[in-house]
Amino acid sequence: MITFDHVIKRYPGSHEALTDVSFTIEQGEMVYVTGHSGAGKSTLLKLMAAIERPTSGTVLINNQNVSKLKASTLPYIRRMFGLVFQDHKLLYDRNCYHNVALPLAINGITEHEAGKRIRAALDKVGLLDKEKAMPITLSGGEQQRLAIARAVVSRPSILIADEPTGNLDRNYAADILQLFNAFQQVGVTVIIATHDALGNAGEQNKVLHLNHGKLVNAEVVL
Amino acid sequence: MNVWLTQHTQALSLVLRRFRTNKLGTLLICFTIGITVALPSIMYAVLDSVNNLTSNIKSESRISVFLALNHSDAAIQTIKAALEKNAAIKNFKFVSKEEALGQLQALDTNKDVLHSLEKNPLPDAFFVEPSKLDAESIENLKAALSKMDGVEEVIVDGAWIKRLNYLLLLGQKAMLAIAGLLAFALAAVIANTIRMQIVTQSAEIELSQLIGATRSFIRRPFLYAGALYGLIGGLFALLITFTVIFLFNQSLAPLAAEYQTSFSLTYPSLPTSIITCLLSIVVGLISAYLAVSKSMYKLSSSH
Repeated sequence: MITFDHVIKRYPGSHEALTDVSFTIEQGEMVYVTGHSGAGKSTLLKLMAAIERPTSGTVLINNQNVSKLKASTLPYIRRMFGLVFQDHKLLYDRNCYHNVALPLAINGITEHEAGKRIRAALDKVGLLDKEKAMPITLSGGEQQRLAIARAVVSRPSILIADEPTGNLDRNYAADILQLFNAFQQVGVTVIIATHDALGNAGEQNKVLHLNHGKLVNAEVVL
Repeated sequence: MNVWLTQHTQALSLVLRRFRTNKLGTLLICFTIGITVALPSIMYAVLDSVNNLTSNIKSESRISVFLALNHSDAAIQTIKAALEKNAAIKNFKFVSKEEALGQLQALDTNKDVLHSLEKNPLPDAFFVEPSKLDAESIENLKAALSKMDGVEEVIVDGAWIKRLNYLLLLGQKAMLAIAGLLAFALAAVIANTIRMQIVTQSAEIELSQLIGATRSFIRRPFLYAGALYGLIGGLFALLITFTVIFLFNQSLAPLAAEYQTSFSLTYPSLPTSIITCLLSIVVGLISAYLAVSKSMYKLSSSH
């Protein structure tokens, strides 16, 4: 589903963020991207989600070469992904309902159908009663769950989360991970970047471990 | 088609929601646009009215050739022949002194005065309509006519109308120049407003780009905003124009009555009103497009 082949990413005026990275992610897999901060996890996720293009090497998403696609077709590739950002990127000028509504508006989904989907997504993350609340009034864990609801509302085939449990305490973090497991079980490919120790999650799932921009060993267990 | 319609109604309702949450700001901007558009449109109304007034008398531009009282009949025939040959003359009319007196007597008010006269004081006259109306050819024609035998006096009528026409032409050019400059000012006002909105919405724009919004999706609400500013501003402009003309005509009526005319400024016609609004919408659209394209380029290059 996602294939990296000798991918190098270099930002202008800085070192290589990723050096010669190759791997393949299959449909329905649960993948952890690990490594110290600054190891290139976020860069890897941005390349996967067609937000950035590689400096060299090829990134294939659904057998489409991202480097060769026209800039005008990239938005349509990006719609395959549900993204949970490290900083949430919630919009604080509107309530929870309208935050979740944005991806559907981008996909051109109509009012009635949108309403059903938005409530289903909010229900899935346990925020149905907060529909009219403004994001600023939510706790950290609730904001994270709202960001997840927004990521899954358009029913993406791939869910990518950057440090989804970063600022949360253990109980909340376990809730969130359970949520991701639930999505994987219904066939969604889930990719999670984390600098936390994985515990037994690492034993059951594929792990991409990055060290200074290099893929140390796929399948390594921490 | 359905998706297309949904996207447009969504964008429009988003813009209207933003307008509602910022009523005062929207009102002020629309008012600014209204005044900017109203200025040239009032100027146009004034020029148009004066133009209409003068076009009634424009055609009356002619040269009156009065003959000496003691000329011979032969002189009349020579002049007639000369006038027929002159290429600078479109046509002419001979009015004898008897005819002229008759015309005067036809008016009631003159009867008493005319009866007290012993003999006809009026001269024979030719009324000449020149084929060319520019100042130089009229001057040349006047000189040629003055030199003829038996001609006492040559009077050019309507010279002031020609001068007025030149002034009107100048006024029209000035109006076009001012309208052009104001259009730029209008574009600057709208572009700046849209730019401010983009800054406020930058979080949403950035997020939308990350999760797969096309450029036209992001651009659409701002284009609607620009067009709506143009439309509302244009309607404000019409309101201002009609009000100003109404008030002006109210004070003009007694003055015009003193001169026994009924001069008043004409209100903009329906086509003129529609064109005013359309132009205002187009300026709004173009400036919004420029503002949003520039800002989007900035945003996408930062990733």
